[in-house]
This record gives sequence, C-alpha cells and structure tokens, in this order.
Amino acid sequence: MRPDYTIAAADLIDGIRSYRIWTRLGWQEVKRRYRRTVFGPFWATLSIGAFIGGMVFIWAPLFKTDVKSYLPFLAAGLVSWTFATALISEGCTTYTAGVNLITQLNFPYTVLNFMVVWRNIIVFFHNILIVIVVVIALKIPVDWQTLLLIPGLIIVAVNGAWMTILFGMVSARFRDVPPLVGNIITLLMFVTPIFWFSHQLGADAQPIVTYNFMYHLIEVMRAPMLGTAPPLLSYAFTIGGAIIGWFVAFDLYARFRRRIPYWL
Amino acid sequence: MTTVIANNVTIDFPIYGTGHRSLRHTLFARTGGLIRHEPAGRHRQQRVVVRALDNVSFTLTSGDRLGLIGHNGAGKSTLLRVLAGVYTPDSGSIRVDGRVSPLFNSVPGLDPDDSGYENIKTCGMFLGMGFDEINRKLQDIVDFCELGEYLELPVRTYSTGMVTRLGFAIATSIDPDILLLDEGIAAGDARFAARAEGRMQALIQRTRILVLASHSDALITSMCNRAMLLEKGHIVEIGPIDEVIKRYHQRPVEASVA
Repeated sequence: MRPDYTIAAADLIDGIRSYRIWTRLGWQEVKRRYRRTVFGPFWATLSIGAFIGGMVFIWAPLFKTDVKSYLPFLAAGLVSWTFATALISEGCTTYTAGVNLITQLNFPYTVLNFMVVWRNIIVFFHNILIVIVVVIALKIPVDWQTLLLIPGLIIVAVNGAWMTILFGMVSARFRDVPPLVGNIITLLMFVTPIFWFSHQLGADAQPIVTYNFMYHLIEVMRAPMLGTAPPLLSYAFTIGGAIIGWFVAFDLYARFRRRIPYWL
Repeated sequence: MTTVIANNVTIDFPIYGTGHRSLRHTLFARTGGLIRHEPAGRHRQQRVVVRALDNVSFTLTSGDRLGLIGHNGAGKSTLLRVLAGVYTPDSGSIRVDGRVSPLFNSVPGLDPDDSGYENIKTCGMFLGMGFDEINRKLQDIVDFCELGEYLELPVRTYSTGMVTRLGFAIATSIDPDILLLDEGIAAGDARFAARAEGRMQALIQRTRILVLASHSDALITSMCNRAMLLEKGHIVEIGPIDEVIKRYHQRPVEASVA
C-alpha cells in the first residue's frame, strides 16, 4: 500500500498536541480499573510486592546469593520488567480496545497509543514504591546516578510508544498476535536476567544477555534504581532501538493507518 | 464555505475470519452490499469482499438537509462514516470542508464506570470540544438532562432512559458545520422527548449541512429537503423527498425484506 507520510505525521503531531485528552484518559483508565477497591492502583504494587517478598527466600538461596543483594535487584528488575512488557502486551490491544471511537470518529489514533504509555507510567510510579521501600530498608546509597532513572524511563516510554503503534496495528489485523506476544513475553521473562544475575550465566552464554533487547530496556531503569549507571551498551541498544523502531512503526502507520477502521 | 463533494466513492470491506459455512449464508442474502470473491492470487488467499459503496458521487452545500433512504445494508451508515472521515475510500475521493459532528448509535467515549460529569468532559473532548468550550456548555448540558445529583454517580447506575438523556444532552451541545445523524437519536420519556425534539431542531438550525439516515419517512420528511435512495451501495436516485420516497416504496425486492 502506498504510504501517506503527511497524514501519518499530522496524526502524530495532533496526537501529541492532544495531551490533555490522553493524560486524562490514562488517569481515568487507572482509576476505573480499581474503582471500589480499597487499595486502588496499589493493588498492582501489592501483588508485585507479595511476589517478591515470597520468592526472594526461594531464589536467593537457589541462585546462591544473599537476600540483601538479591532483594533490591529482584525488586527493581521486576518493577522495570512489568512496565516494559505491559507496554508491549497492552500495546497489542490499543486499537482493538478503541473500536467504538475508531469506527465512529476521525481523530488522531496516536492519542490511544499515548494513552496506553501514559497509563503505564502512572502504574510504574505506584510500583516504584516497592523499590523505594527496599532501598530505604537496606540503606542502598542514593546518589546522582540514581537520577539516571529519569532518562531511562523516557527512553523506555519512547520505545513503548512505537511498540504500541506497531503491535497495535499488527494485532488489529491478525488476531493471533496478542496471545502469541503473551507467550513470548512469558518466555522472555525467564531468558532475561531478572531473577538471576547475568554473570551467573557464564562467559559462553553471555550473548543471550548481550543481544537481548529486553535486557537493555530493563537495565536503563534498573541500574539507576540500584545506584549505578547503566552500561553504555544498554544506551546504544535502547536509543538505537527507539530510532529504528520509530522508523519502522511510522512507515507502517503511514501505509496502513487508513486500513485500521476496516480491520476492527 | 461548508461543502461536501463526493466523487466516485467506492468502499470495499474485506471480511476476515469467515468460514465457508457463514459464507454460504451471506451468498444467499437478499439485503446488503454486493459480496464478491477476489480470486486467490499467487501471494494471497481467496478473500471475501463486501462492496458497501459503489461509485457514489454527489455534492452538498450550505442549507442542504439530505435524507438517506434504503433497506438494511444499502450503505447508509457506511456513507455517513465516510463523511465522518472514519473510512477512507478505496477509490474516488471525498472532500469535506467544515467541522463535522457524527452522532451515531452511541455517544463516543461514554464509559459506564465514570460519573456523569466525567463523561460530559470525556465525550465532549471526543466530539471535538476544547476544555473551555466544555466548561462553557457544562451548565446547559446539566440543566437540559435534568439528572441533578445523579451526575455525581457512575453512569452504570443510571436507568436506560437516563443514559439516553445524558448522551443526548452531550451530543446536542455541539456546534457543527456538518451534522451526521444515524436513525436520529432516541430520547427518554414523553416529556423529555418533546424537549428533545425542540433541542434537536435548534441544533439542526445552527448546522449548515445535515445528513440523516433513517427508515422513518416521517422523520426524513420533517427534517430534510433532499433525499437519496441507496441500494446495494449505489445511488438509485437523488432528488426531492416525495419522489425518492415514492420510488423506494415501489421497488419490490426491498419491500419484501423486513
């Protein structure tokens, strides 16, 4: 299909300009999900917290590390993982969930993409409480490098935005994609060093970590939370990924944006 | 200048995920657009395509109130959605100059878990209103729907009629150049219906172009000054209401389909 870059660019710019809509919708969606519950969005936080609190006593001895160094690693890693993968899995339903709007109105669909990203940023800032508690409890030093979390978050959010466009479109057309993506994410969870340290893998198996894009996405957030700077390689992968990803997603969006209502 | 220019607009819907069984049913259907089977190519499987609009051309200018007539699946709703910018034509072109407001089955963005007030804001934004505009019109919407303190409660606690009132009040608060209406919008109990009628007329008065799809001859006659008869996605006739309605009732095939 012939790409229409003007319309895609206009959609993107209008989408960004409509920030009052998607910030509002993001909040509404978070509130809506936990309405009438006592803990609200902190339910997500509690369930991750309970998981970490339980598993740390199994995995720390299993991976032969002491709880004191394993707990912050697991907490920061899992909170980062939840954020990054939610962007992918919820990205798959970006357009299918917006069916009522898309089939009734002409509006920048990227509003829906930014809404998904914003919503997950909000959830992330609830979940980060776990890491804060762990950091304070274990007296992990907080210094300037901790501030690298902010650029890390921005990098992941920018990557998340193209992922929601790409996966949203592909999933709207091919309904097998969301369950497939779900499966792959589960697999990646064990392949990516979140439960285990990358050095434990041994030298021969290092490429599994080095070429794992998800690892780098996690690392730009996890390392600052643990008070260290992420490796430059992780920045190279994630910034490069954002550039390439946006090129691909934008090109596909320019080609198929007008087909999205037909697919729903 | 508010205008709508449609030039040989053609819309094809590819149908995904239909098995042969459901296909057999659709083949013998008497209503609906023309169903076509695209032959299998070297790189693609055979697929089913419904031609919802076929070479539709017309022009509307300020003051036009067009009624769309036709049996189920004739292409009325598809045409409205093309005018709303939802579907981009596969071939042909559509030019719409002016602010378009589509009012279809439901108000876009209405969420049952949100309160009435929250929905007024969200729906208003989706109908193209800015925050200032919504705030300016809030009192008018609140007054008109007469829901009082219910507006603080989630919409799912409303009765069906109350949801309709809210939706109607929001939807009719807009100031469009071009208004697209599907089947008109229903409006609660008798007293409210009378007030709704007045509000609807006022909305249409401040609209430059109206396109209304309906099965009700009375509604079309009272609101429109032109009519278009659609059949299987193409225009049979476009012209004065009386003539088009007469022609519609004379066509035997459609008359037999309820």
